Parts: sequence; C-alpha cells; structure tokens
Amino acid sequence: MRVLFVEDDDLIGCGVEAGLRQAGFTVDWARDGHEAGLALTTTTYALVVLDLGLPRVSGMDLLKRLRDAGKDVPVLVLTARGTVLDRVGGLEAGADDYLGKPFDLTELIARCRALLRRAQGRSVEPIRYQDLTVNPAAQTVDVGDTRVSLTSREWAVLMQLLTHQGIPQSRSSLEESLYGWQQEIESNTIEVHVSNLRKKLGARLIRTVRNIGYVVEKA
Amino acid sequence: MISASIRRRLVLLVLASIVLIWGIAWISSYRQAEREVGEWEQARLAELAQILALLDQRNLTTLANARIDVREEEKGGEPGANDGDDDDALPRDALFQVRSANGDVLAGSPQLRALHAWDLPMPPASGSRDMTLGGQIWHTFTLRDTALGQTVRVFEPANTRSDLVSGVASRIARPTLLALPVLALLVWLSIGWSLAPLKTLSGEIRVRGINRLEAVDIGRAPTEVRPLVDAINLVLSRLRHSIERERAFTADAAHELKTPLAAIKVQAQVALAEPDAALRQLAIERVVQGVDRGARLSEQLLLLARLDTHERTSTARLNLAEVARDALLANQRNAEQKTIHMRLTGDPRSEINAEPVLTGIMLDNLLDNAIKYGREYGTIEVGMQHANGRVQLIVRDDGPGVAPDDLAHLTNRFFRATGTQASGSGLGLSIVARIAEHFDANLQVGTGIGGRGLAVELSFPACVEAGRAVPGASVRRAL
Repeated sequence: MRVLFVEDDDLIGCGVEAGLRQAGFTVDWARDGHEAGLALTTTTYALVVLDLGLPRVSGMDLLKRLRDAGKDVPVLVLTARGTVLDRVGGLEAGADDYLGKPFDLTELIARCRALLRRAQGRSVEPIRYQDLTVNPAAQTVDVGDTRVSLTSREWAVLMQLLTHQGIPQSRSSLEESLYGWQQEIESNTIEVHVSNLRKKLGARLIRTVRNIGYVVEKA
Repeated sequence: MISASIRRRLVLLVLASIVLIWGIAWISSYRQAEREVGEWEQARLAELAQILALLDQRNLTTLANARIDVREEEKGGEPGANDGDDDDALPRDALFQVRSANGDVLAGSPQLRALHAWDLPMPPASGSRDMTLGGQIWHTFTLRDTALGQTVRVFEPANTRSDLVSGVASRIARPTLLALPVLALLVWLSIGWSLAPLKTLSGEIRVRGINRLEAVDIGRAPTEVRPLVDAINLVLSRLRHSIERERAFTADAAHELKTPLAAIKVQAQVALAEPDAALRQLAIERVVQGVDRGARLSEQLLLLARLDTHERTSTARLNLAEVARDALLANQRNAEQKTIHMRLTGDPRSEINAEPVLTGIMLDNLLDNAIKYGREYGTIEVGMQHANGRVQLIVRDDGPGVAPDDLAHLTNRFFRATGTQASGSGLGLSIVARIAEHFDANLQVGTGIGGRGLAVELSFPACVEAGRAVPGASVRRAL
C-alpha cells in the first residue's frame, strides 16, 4: 500500500513515516503542499495522510484541489487546530477522517487501515480468499491452518493483488506500490516476488495476464 | 468620615447661597424699616410740638397734667385681632414744656421735674435731639415759635426695641424660613434627578466583565457625562483588544506546544514498536530533540509573558560590542556546523542604554535565526554604527532571505516564512521586537549582505555623552 504523507515538521514527519513503514505501508513524505500536489498528479496512492498547516500550499487548498480534480483517494487529515469548527470544515472540504495533534501513532495506523478497508469495500480486517487468510493489521498470512512467512515486498505485492481482485495489475503499478521515492527499483523483482508467492501460497493463486501483468481472480 | 457626595455638596452650597442672599436682603430691609420708623416718629413728634404751640396757657396746663399716650396703635379693639407685632408692650407718655421768650416756663409735664429735666436749657434752634434722662433715651423735638416767642419742647421715651420694625422683619422672615426646607427638598430632588445619568453609567459599568467589554451606551447622555462615557468606552475598547490579543496568543501558544508534543509522542511510539536497535536508538534521540524543542518554546513563551507584564526594565549604559561578542561566541558552535563565518564590524565603543541580559537574548535570537536560515558556507555580519544620533545594530546574512510578502509579518508571533525547513517556533523575531520596544529601539528588516539574505536593523537612541570620538568612525574587526 503506497501512502502519501504530507507534513512540514521534521520531527513529527520522520516519526510518522517510520510508524507507517513499521505498519507495512510504503510511504512518500512530502514536506509542503506544492510537493504533495506534484506527487498526487504523478503517482496513484492508496491513502493520503495530510497535515493542514503547510507552507506554500495549505493542506485545505490541497484537499479542495484534489477533490475538484475528481480524485477519491481516502484522505486522513492531521492538525493541531482541533476545534469542532476546524473538524467540520475539514470533513466538508473532502477529508474522510480527522485526527488532532498530539495523536496516538497506533490510532493513526488503525484509522488508516479502516479508511483503506472502506475504500476496498471490506468491513472486517482479515481478507479471506479460498483457503487463504490474510490479516493486514497483524501482517500475517495463513494457508489453511499453516502460518506462512512473507518478506515485506512479497507482502506488498500480495496485498496489491488481493485488494484489486479481478483487475489485472501491471508490473509498473505493482512496482509503484512497492517502492517509495528514495528506493531504487530493481529489475525483474516483480517476477521474483510473484514466483516466491506462488511457491509459498500455491501456484494457482496468481495468474499471469500476457503482456499486462498479474491478477488474482475474483473469489 | 463622610464620603464626598456631589449631591450633598451641591444642596448645601445652593442652600447656603440662598440663606446668605436672603439674610442680606432681610438685614437691609430691617435697616430700611428702622430708618423709616425713626423718621416717622420724629415727624409725629414735630407735629405734636406744632399742636402744642397753638394751645393757650390754660389748655397747656390741663394737658400737662393729663397723659399723652403716644403708643403707635389705638388701645382697645378685639384682643388678638391685632396680636401685637407692633404693639408697644407698655404705655408711652410724651412729656412737654413750653417756655416764653424770656425763658419762663409757661407749662410743663410734672414728670420732667422727677427726671431733672425741668430746668434744662432750651437748644437755640428748632430740631430733634436725643438725650438721656433718668437712665433712658428720650427723643426730643424743640420748636421755636418766633411769632409768639414761645419755645415748645416735646419728650418721648425712645422705643428701645422697635416693635414695629421687628414686626415687619419677622413678617418678612417667617415665610422665607418656612420656604427653606421646601426649597431644600426641591433642590435635593432636582440635583438627584440631574445626577441620574451617572447612576445609570455606574450600573452599566458594573455589569462589564472580562467577557462583556462592549461599549457603554446610556442613551442620550448629558454634555457633562458624555466625555466620561467616551473615555470609558476608549478604555473598554483597548481592554477588549488586549484581551483578544492575549486569547489569540494563548491559543497560538497552545497550538505551537502541541507540535513538539505530537513529535515526542510519535517518536516514542516508533521507538516502542521498532525491532531494529539502531532505528530504536534514533527514535529515542528524536524524542530528546522533541523535548528540547518543547522546552525552548516554553522558555520563549515565558520570556514573552514576562516582557508583557513588565512595562519598563531598568537600563544602564552598555557596551554593545561586548554583548555582541558574547553572543557570537555562544553561537559559534552552531555556526561552525553549517560552516558559517561570523564577523563583528563597526565601532567597538558603541554604547546604548539597555539591560545586558535582555540585550543578550535579543542578539542570541538574531544570530540563531541568521544561522538557522542562512546558507551553508555563508557569512553573518554583526555591524554597529552611528547615524542621526542613534546607534544602529545590524545583523545580516547572505542566505536565501525572505519573500517580500513575508517581510512585514516577520515579527508576528508564531509566524514562519513559507518554505522554511529549519525547525523553529516563529517566536524569535517577535521576542527581539518586544525587547527592542523596551529600550525604545526601532526594528527594521531589509536585504542582507550583497543583496541576498536578510538584514535585521535595530536602532537605539544613542547615550548622551561628552567628548565622544567622531560619530561614524568605524573600526573594522573580524572575530
């Protein structure tokens, strides 16, 4: 899951970035509204975590621009101005959720997961697919009763395919969900991760779509 | 002690004035009446003397042995009908003596002998005269009848207490004395009524509180009360603004304190969940950084609060260069981390009237800002110079500077220029501005070294001093 995190404060920023990474997200950290706006036009994100008090372009302006452009990516707003009026204003401008500073990192992550779940049309956390049980919160995968251990990259590829069942995912969109800005993309890695997943979870789970990419068929 | 009351004072003053005027009028009326009564009595005595002059010897003798009552009212009538304002208490008998041209007594009241006035020589001319006979004052009137050669003298005991006059006086005084309490009441009520706007005003002010500071409106205030209402409204509006400013500051301060707190919490939670020892260590170090930032912020807030409560600070003559040198030394390490070269230029003897600790804080903040927002391998210059009778302290850098739109807001509390990466509370320059105000210094911002960066210029009033070196003579020195 690739998340755009927009925050101008260094200390909060690197903390939340680390927290989101720990929770298994791929994080892009933008430090001002302008940078965030650029990122949103070039990359598809599963979720945006947005601080409102930003230099250059304010968080609220960014949010309005995003919604005006017709993008319905879930947005969680972070702000120190936590009055009811601020919250209502934020939600009406198109935010999906609101969290006041100082916030609890575990709560932030739980709210991010809830937003992603809703966006993916699920109401419970574990994703069940045939004999597979995937728990994004605990980052565990079970085949039948057997716990299978996955690397973070394999995990990310599996999540991307499972949350887009029936929709073939191109190699580039899989790569996008896998690598943040600072990370060097290795060639052939997607094939390697898919072949590992097939070994661990069964050869029939992921189907290759010729000239496009991979798909997990609708259950 | 009786508290001062405008109403009581006015009533007393008005009544005292009335009593005074009435008293003067009464006394002058009394005098007038007394004089008129005296003249009238004298005229009556002269008439009596003329009648006597016409009487013959026989009639005079008869009359001398009778009594001539000269009381001013007729005896008799209804008792109480004239209840005696001007009644004489006792009968008053007029006495007389008639003498021939050669001085023989033709007739005379026998009582004159008892008063030893029988043989009194006649005055040479006609006229009235007062004399003392038997311990009493008598009015006399002498008439020389040149045709008959007779001299008539009439004696009347002086009315010691002029009952007529006192009657007139009391008749004038009584209604005015009765009117006085009524007048007092009317004056008291009308003054009370006139002072009612003051009462309304005090009622209006009493309900004012921290949360109710809107302007006082008491309808159509009288001219005398209007300036008071205006002055109160002015104070109220100033108070309102200052409270609004305080509240905004508190809200901003709370908001600013939340940021380091949020950072500390997030970093602590990252550290708790991080399995990698090195990353955990890093997160814990960041917790410490966050605490430092919060502590610095609260120190700055406390400093601002202290500056706001103390209107004036005691100042002394201070060598600006020494304070600047200390501040440069204190910030040396931070500057070296960014490889920034700092130098001190200008007159090393520049002196200002200020307080050393606050001046130090001011310079610290300016240097801290210059280092934070200056560029790596850059230069920071602290300059001192004399111009137009003022001492100028200029801190300049050659960093990216501040957008022209932002310059005006630099000294606003919590303002941080857009696009700033360095951590800061946005309080530094507002602290500098506030301290500068304490020392009557002006703060100006402009462009820094070589048309780049930021320059903050503080202009202090120069110390008055005799025998100073030529102003503007500058000694360059590098630190």
